[in-house]
Amino acid sequence: MPDLATSTINLLIKDSPKAIAVVDTNMCIIGYSNTWLRTIAKSQTSVTGKSYYTILPDTTKSLQKIHKSCLSGGGHVVEKTKLIHSDGSIQWTKWKINAWHNELELIGGLIIVQDDITDEKRREDLLLKAESVARIGGWEVDMRSGVVYWTDVTKEIHEVPKDFIPTLEEGINFYKKGESRDNITSLVSDAIAIGKPWDTELQIVTAKGNELWVRAKGETELVDGKCIRIYGTFQDIDTKKRIELEYQRISNRLKIATDAAHIGIFDYDITKDKLVWDDHMFAIYNVDKKAFKGTFESWTSVLHPDDLAKSEQIFQSAVASSNKFDTEFRIIWPDGSIKYIKSRASIIKDAEGNPKQMVGANWDVTEFRTTKLELRRNHESFTGVFDKSNVGMVILGLNGRLLEVNKSLCVSLGYSHQELIKMTALDITYKEDIKESIRITKDLTSRKISSCHLEKRLYHKNGKIVHVLIMVTSVNDINGNLSHFIAQIVDMTSRIEAERRLKTLVEVTRGQNESLMNFAHIVSHNLRSHSTNMSMLIQFLAQEKGSNERKNIATMLSKAAESLNETVMHLNEVVQIKTGALEKMKSTSLIASINNVKDTLGALIKEKEASCKFDICKTHYVNVVPAYLESILLNLFTNSLKYASPKRKPKIKVTSKINKDSIEVHFSDNGQGIDLKRYGEKIFGMYKTFHNNKDAKGIGLFITKNQIEAMYGTIKIVSELDKGTTFILNFKKE
Amino acid sequence: MKKINTSCIIDDDDIFIYGTKRIIKEVNFCEEILVFNNGQDALDEFKKLTDLGKELPSIIFLDLNMPIMNGWEFLEQFTKIENNNQDKVIVYIISSSVDPRDLEKVGNYEIIHNYILKPFSSKDLESILKDVTA
Repeated sequence: MPDLATSTINLLIKDSPKAIAVVDTNMCIIGYSNTWLRTIAKSQTSVTGKSYYTILPDTTKSLQKIHKSCLSGGGHVVEKTKLIHSDGSIQWTKWKINAWHNELELIGGLIIVQDDITDEKRREDLLLKAESVARIGGWEVDMRSGVVYWTDVTKEIHEVPKDFIPTLEEGINFYKKGESRDNITSLVSDAIAIGKPWDTELQIVTAKGNELWVRAKGETELVDGKCIRIYGTFQDIDTKKRIELEYQRISNRLKIATDAAHIGIFDYDITKDKLVWDDHMFAIYNVDKKAFKGTFESWTSVLHPDDLAKSEQIFQSAVASSNKFDTEFRIIWPDGSIKYIKSRASIIKDAEGNPKQMVGANWDVTEFRTTKLELRRNHESFTGVFDKSNVGMVILGLNGRLLEVNKSLCVSLGYSHQELIKMTALDITYKEDIKESIRITKDLTSRKISSCHLEKRLYHKNGKIVHVLIMVTSVNDINGNLSHFIAQIVDMTSRIEAERRLKTLVEVTRGQNESLMNFAHIVSHNLRSHSTNMSMLIQFLAQEKGSNERKNIATMLSKAAESLNETVMHLNEVVQIKTGALEKMKSTSLIASINNVKDTLGALIKEKEASCKFDICKTHYVNVVPAYLESILLNLFTNSLKYASPKRKPKIKVTSKINKDSIEVHFSDNGQGIDLKRYGEKIFGMYKTFHNNKDAKGIGLFITKNQIEAMYGTIKIVSELDKGTTFILNFKKE
Repeated sequence: MKKINTSCIIDDDDIFIYGTKRIIKEVNFCEEILVFNNGQDALDEFKKLTDLGKELPSIIFLDLNMPIMNGWEFLEQFTKIENNNQDKVIVYIISSSVDPRDLEKVGNYEIIHNYILKPFSSKDLESILKDVTA
């Protein structure tokens, strides 16, 4: 080893702040820095020429091995070692070992640079520990090699084994599907593309399937605008996040509640006289936020003068006793309107126990207050009506007990007030009406009906029956539950009521009487005609001696008897219509009925050489008693044929059309016609005949009209002598 | 006793006509009897008689309920006939109707002498005869 080299080395490194030792190929010291001598060699003397291992006997086997390999193959090695001294202290050392070459380009020995990194190492340890406590993990992705590195904590958070080696894609897939994964994907993409860092809170699903909130931070390293590395931290914030979310949820709920209820919150600092209101308070007091001074006076200045002293006193006593503050007062809005405010608050004390703060809520109860007032007024007027009404009134409990009755009912039933309020509704109900009363009560209590209206009979105290009209109404309580019933009872046994009913009855019966009277006269006339004939004939028979004449009288007598029989049959027919089977009404095809009757009269039509033309829509159905309709049509057909003009062959035409709620049928012929000026209203009378026709009985059209009217239809006639007749019929539509 | 020349029956009931004719003969009420089955037939005949200058029957037995022209209608038309003995004609309504409205109407016609409810008997005829000849 030339001295020159040694002395040069010594010259160069002597004053280096780092601990540097230079050795030859035999590991003998040929140079060193003062720092090395002081800190590593512990100021041993005459170290030059001595073996490195003699000076530092603690040198580990692995280090010696490195020395050896560096000497034989050259190269450059960085190594960190941990040394535990005999006193237990730990020393961390960072080694840089380089081979040096002589002028022949041969390895001349080693340059050993030694850094004491104990402090640095300790800091790193602490950091690691802190990370683990805070559950902050680290990660790194080398964009060139694609290698991903996760620290132990990161792995722990992901609940993967320590030897787990993730890929970038796997890492991303730990994020919860949906918003979290979408977010992290776009953040990572942005980071790779434009080097944008991120800091966000998202959810992951661990390898064991647990959902966790994490805070993910990412930084990028760019070289020539290209991202070569992304790295960052990964923190488990689940507990914190959940608390935060829960808090947010609760405060949202509170906000919704106070918003919906329009509850204002105030906070008054007693010592500093500082009043803070939330937005609802300003709305409740209708005070401009900008003009609000925020002092105790801000509150008292809007109080209703009548409530001022009392409210201040209540406030003072609440402060003095640290009690809860719960009061109601009136305020005056800037527009002069008065509002009722309910206020509740608590006193917060400082560490010394002195009242420091009052926090509470205010809400507007004006509506409630006015409703209450109105209710009281309503109640008063109801009580007035109740007591003074001429109608009997009862408040009925759900169990049927008479909770309250008025004077009028007491009078109607003959009981005293005290007697009645001990009774139930059924106690005063007539025994035959009890079943019905129970049924209605059931409907009312099951809320099938909310009110009812019925006639029933009650017992008077003296046992007599009182006829009443009862109106029962259910009353609900504030929660909408059935509370009680109010019944109004009109005593119908009273004269006015009876009179009123009689009047209506008379009105109804008058019409019936009139038609009955007509009928009775017709009946008596017809029956009398025959019976008088018969009595006359019998008288003649008694006197008559001549046998021929007697035979003649006998023939007439039997004819009279026959007529009488016929008349009775006619009357029977009429009575049947009056009491008739209207229940048998049904929808009937008009055209089918007409064709049917035409077929029945086939022989007669043929004989008279009549022609028929029907213009009836198939969809025309009428609501009739089918037998009546056929009888009506039969009568009209036979009339047309019977009273056909001798001058021409009969032509019958039937048409129909739809009116608003009826079907109108026109039945026309070209027969003799009737002088309506002369017979007008008698056409449809009983036993009215207008032609000198032997067959005419004067009953057909009478029955026809009655049948039509019984089915709520109408019949009219248009006729001209020697031209023809048209009957216009209106039937109810189906 | 025979004071009445011609009487007239206007009725659609054949049996009534037979009976009336018979009792007229029995009591020898009149010389001649005219019979019509309804008001129209009677009116036509009376007009014809008037045109021929002949007298009308002095007594008319009139039914109310008849086809074509009833008793009331007949009376309306009959009063318009201008015959010499028009004033002397006496009308008796002979009806089975007990309807008070019919009885009321009788008062509206001076020409109606009486309303006789069927059955029509010989006693009725006799009292008529007494009335007329009194």
